[in-house]
Amino acid sequence: MSSEHPQFTGNVGSFNNNSFNIVNFPTEIDAEGRQVLQWLSPLEPQQRHQGVRTDRLDGIGNWVLETNEFGKWSGAEDGCVEPVLFCYGNPGVGKTYLR
Amino acid sequence: MIDSLCDQAEGKDVAVVWLYCDFLAQKEQSATSMLGAILKHLFSRGGIPEHVREAFQKAKEEFSGRGLLLPDLVEIVKKAVASLPRVFICIDALDESTQQCRRELLESLQEIVQVSANTRLFLTGRPHVGEDIIKCFSEVVRIHLTPTQDDIKSYLEMRLDEDIDPDMMDNELRADIMRVIPEKISEV
Repeated sequence: MSSEHPQFTGNVGSFNNNSFNIVNFPTEIDAEGRQVLQWLSPLEPQQRHQGVRTDRLDGIGNWVLETNEFGKWSGAEDGCVEPVLFCYGNPGVGKTYLR
Repeated sequence: MIDSLCDQAEGKDVAVVWLYCDFLAQKEQSATSMLGAILKHLFSRGGIPEHVREAFQKAKEEFSGRGLLLPDLVEIVKKAVASLPRVFICIDALDESTQQCRRELLESLQEIVQVSANTRLFLTGRPHVGEDIIKCFSEVVRIHLTPTQDDIKSYLEMRLDEDIDPDMMDNELRADIMRVIPEKISEV
């Protein structure tokens, strides 16, 4: 399946745009494809994310994105860094988001 | 965080997938359903590979539609990420999964990351799940999350603006709230 993956990013679109809807499967997935996806897992994490995105306050927690740790982890070339970033905190500090 | 990664990914061939663990959904959330969700996410964007469709047909005909087993899922994820230059897998609130689910999930992800240098994991959870993570990954970058004073102030401002009974509020009270609460929180 090496060459059959089209650009992911074209589908991702701008996440700053609230009207963007990622929940629906793209139309090119046929009926059998939908069954296959359902068979792979009953979970729908895209839907949960839609809720988080709607409720969350923009800008809060953005300092994390500016840390060296995040920059190194997300930007560095393959194999140069530790592959795992763990953000930890006590209950209610806003690990998922603040609302 | 997820949105920021997606923004970064825009214009590049990068996939960002995510999972939220949830106390209330522990029954549905197993390592298999979570790895399955990662695949579902990848395939719903990039198309379903033929070998997965075949496995589905076979399961339907021979095993009355039984789902894949964990080792099979791990192999499929390995293949799926291999065709992409960079994949970010984000899993929120690991502490909300059962210990068994967390262990199996982390072990599976470790197997995947081991052969896929292009795959990065972003995990969140309460401090104690760090121990489970370390068992699987020797090198982990850690960030301790606490809201900053600015975070708390933005949050308070939003909540005050949403006040359903604004007659009770005046500038003095508002100023007091904005001063005292961030102070108290930073003392904690």
